[in-house]
Amino acid sequence: MNTAWNLSSGPHIRDSWTTGFIMRVVFLSLVPAAAVGVAVNGLHALLVIVLAVLSSVASELVFDKLLKKPDTWLDGSAAVTGLMLALTLSPSTPLYAPVLGSVFAIIVVKCCFGGLGKNFVNPALAARCFLLISFGRSMTVYQVDGVTAATPMAELAAGRAVDITKMFLGTAGGVIGSCALALLIGGLFLWSMDFIHGQICFSVLISFTVFMGLFGGQGFDPRFLLAHLFGGGVILGAFFMATDYVTSPVSRLGQTIYGVLIGVLGAMFRIFGSSPDSFSYSVIIGNLCVPLIDTYIVSKPFAFRKAAIRAQNGEKRKPLLKRIPKPVIALTLIALLSGIALSGVYALTKDTIDEKRREASSAAYRAVVPNAESFEYADTSELAGQVYGTDYGRVYINEAVIGKDASGNVAGYAVSVTTAEGNDGDITLCIGVDADGTVNGIAFTELNETPGMGMRCGEPAFMDQFAGKNVTAFKLLKGGGAVSDHEIDAISGATVTSSAVVNAVNAGLDYCSSVLRGE
Amino acid sequence: MNHTFLGGVHPKGRKELSRQSPLRRFDPTGEMVFPLAQHIGKPAKAIVSKNDPVLVGQRIAEADGFVSAHVISSCSGKVKAVEKRRTVSGAMSECIVIENDGLFTPLEGMGVREDVTQISVQDILGRVRDAGIIGLGGAGFPTHVKLAPKQPDKIRYVIANGAECEPYLTCNDQLMRTQAEAIVEGLELMLRLFPNAESVIGIENNKPEAIAAMEKAVTGHSRIRVLPLVTKYPQGGEHSLIQTVAGVDYPVTKLPADVGCIVENVGTIYAIERAVVFREPLFSHVITVTGEGVKEPSNFIVRDGTSFAELLEAAGGFREGVQVRKVLTGGPMMGFALSSLEIPVQKTSNALTVLLEDGCERADRQMTACLHCGRCTTVCPTGLTPQLMADAAQAGDLVRYEKKLYGLECVACGSCTYVCPAKRPLTQTFKQTKAEIMARKRAAQAGGKK
Repeated sequence: MNTAWNLSSGPHIRDSWTTGFIMRVVFLSLVPAAAVGVAVNGLHALLVIVLAVLSSVASELVFDKLLKKPDTWLDGSAAVTGLMLALTLSPSTPLYAPVLGSVFAIIVVKCCFGGLGKNFVNPALAARCFLLISFGRSMTVYQVDGVTAATPMAELAAGRAVDITKMFLGTAGGVIGSCALALLIGGLFLWSMDFIHGQICFSVLISFTVFMGLFGGQGFDPRFLLAHLFGGGVILGAFFMATDYVTSPVSRLGQTIYGVLIGVLGAMFRIFGSSPDSFSYSVIIGNLCVPLIDTYIVSKPFAFRKAAIRAQNGEKRKPLLKRIPKPVIALTLIALLSGIALSGVYALTKDTIDEKRREASSAAYRAVVPNAESFEYADTSELAGQVYGTDYGRVYINEAVIGKDASGNVAGYAVSVTTAEGNDGDITLCIGVDADGTVNGIAFTELNETPGMGMRCGEPAFMDQFAGKNVTAFKLLKGGGAVSDHEIDAISGATVTSSAVVNAVNAGLDYCSSVLRGE
Repeated sequence: MNHTFLGGVHPKGRKELSRQSPLRRFDPTGEMVFPLAQHIGKPAKAIVSKNDPVLVGQRIAEADGFVSAHVISSCSGKVKAVEKRRTVSGAMSECIVIENDGLFTPLEGMGVREDVTQISVQDILGRVRDAGIIGLGGAGFPTHVKLAPKQPDKIRYVIANGAECEPYLTCNDQLMRTQAEAIVEGLELMLRLFPNAESVIGIENNKPEAIAAMEKAVTGHSRIRVLPLVTKYPQGGEHSLIQTVAGVDYPVTKLPADVGCIVENVGTIYAIERAVVFREPLFSHVITVTGEGVKEPSNFIVRDGTSFAELLEAAGGFREGVQVRKVLTGGPMMGFALSSLEIPVQKTSNALTVLLEDGCERADRQMTACLHCGRCTTVCPTGLTPQLMADAAQAGDLVRYEKKLYGLECVACGSCTYVCPAKRPLTQTFKQTKAEIMARKRAAQAGGKK
């Protein structure tokens, strides 16, 4: 009678959620973090974000057109990938990075594996790792106020104090999307509106925190745990990366296992590894385990679960302790006990370790203040973990001592300084100064620079240049030809190390003259 | 506190269209068509032939075997033909066609209240069977079979299904508001069959008037109580309702009675009361005519065999100036699309819904690849994993579909399709796959017998 009526099979009504809607919401939930990133880091960060998003969408458009696929570039998923990638990049990253990364993410990781819903790892994360591996250092140079600075994660890895409040607000440096507050707002919004699975994000966060507390060596110190949670992309990873629909397991149990895996791996990489970018790798490893998890963990319909079968047969539940398999209880207990034991041992041995460290440094002090009989420690507590001065780069005053001779008169001063500006990590050295301000000499307590290059700073030819000089500050001559007392010849080919050492010495000298000698 | 089950979806109820429309009796004038197969089980056998005179309440087809049901005439007149006519399923099916004389002369002795305080269990079951009662919720399972489980002593719950979770539908709401006493009387009769059972009337909390009416009617009935339910589809699905009331999940291979439950739609319970107390067989029941495309959405008491075209006219017909996209028997979640209104209302018809927007059509436009977002898994009321089932079905891996993913447990409620943001036709795929697996099983059995 009326052929205009549709005859398709039911249900005949649909929810308003579409793929595009989900993608738009996820995109919007990342906007606060992106906005803070731009506000803190300036226009270059905005450029990185815009380029990443545009080139992602363009990549998908080109792929669709070239391969004559249905248009998928407007579904929003490419834009989300681009934004996520941008948030994991340094705000000072060269502009080719977001473009290249987006092309890799969309074309290689997503489209070549079948497009939306078929990629085997999170495209944004894969692209970030691709950039890290391909361009190394230039990807991990972070600037704060135009000055190259260590990220909070590098500081944490080096055992130094970090400003948790700054990390929370995103002003502590690091990637564009480093504002934990903005990310938490976006992530919790997604979770509360059922866009992401709580099993995943919270199992990541909880397992990461617990593992870090048990095995991080500092117990459940909230400052330590929060610093780790707010830094290095844990929030971004837990709420936005790990929860990516395509690369996370299907069943609730599988999702929980996957979350715990990522959290534990992330914490292990933090504790035992050296890369501050380790969280990306733990999420990717988690992604790669998903097919395995999905193969073995398929949830049964309610009627086939144990509780339902008991109910069908009218049986009662066993008490809680009897329901948990014994090995699980045993393993949990062992893990808990060993964690507590480790924390305990750390607390007990902390004083002894400090004592040993003092002995080691006092040997160095003796070397640079040879005519002292005993040492008196100056109060440096308010300098702990703080960058010293403004002209020396990331330099920290660890300790300062006043050497006394046999009759109790001041024989000289020694300052232990650490600089984070070394080519290959931290350099720690002692500067010894006479009572009148003449440098006795310097001694390294930590020097791990490149052999044959930076390492040559530890050779007398370089070190001896400081001895016997009475100056307010040294100056590094890169081309050699030092004549005046305050001039120091750099080691050729190791300017970075030489400069770091000279700056550290200058910091020590300054501290010595301004505080210890009270000038 | 309101009770509910795991999973489920919250489609727009749209019940405001018709929920305040009181039940109106509608007497058709045209010819009446009675399909012989309205129930689950063997089709009934016609016991009238052309030109036979019939009266209202007269049996015109006899149940063929135990799992079958009589067909009752709802009008008086003359048998015009016994022939194939198009029915709700869209297929041509054997029907009795009666020329309605418009007088609705009833069979004698019908509709007089009897004293049933001393009635025996056998008599109750016999009168239910004589009345041709089947489940009016939609499945159409013969009620006399359902009420006679192997071990009546083991039944713990007699559940009256007043959830009415399908969007748009309001006829059971109206029935509960107006016939609360009769429904409670029907439940008391059912409880006589199950000495160890208590009775629970489950009603979604979007029907406060119905809840109040039923609460009032159950006062003084110690074995019957009203249970307000969370408004969530498919709360009125047998499986979901049992999960809510009794806290038990059971596989499709088991019957509700196996887990100590008997579930009947409130409409069916009302029919039981009419049949046992008034000896009035089932020939009319409540229907909602609704949807954005209907001029005056209404609730009717409709005689079986009425053509939907006539019923729609009773509700004012289509709204003028609108483009009707889809016409359904039943609600928008589980209803069937009609190609024509020239088909008869049958016992299981509970609504005529006229939609101006077809979700399926929109879904076809918005379809993308599966995101594996897991929304389908979250809403599945039986705890299945629709996304994996769809993958397996698409790959043709029927063994994985059935054994690993328990695909045959699907109750086809449509929740997964409803929420799918990628707009995949999940339920549709599952219905087809289930049919294919069952067909193969039958073929294998038939092969084995040879």
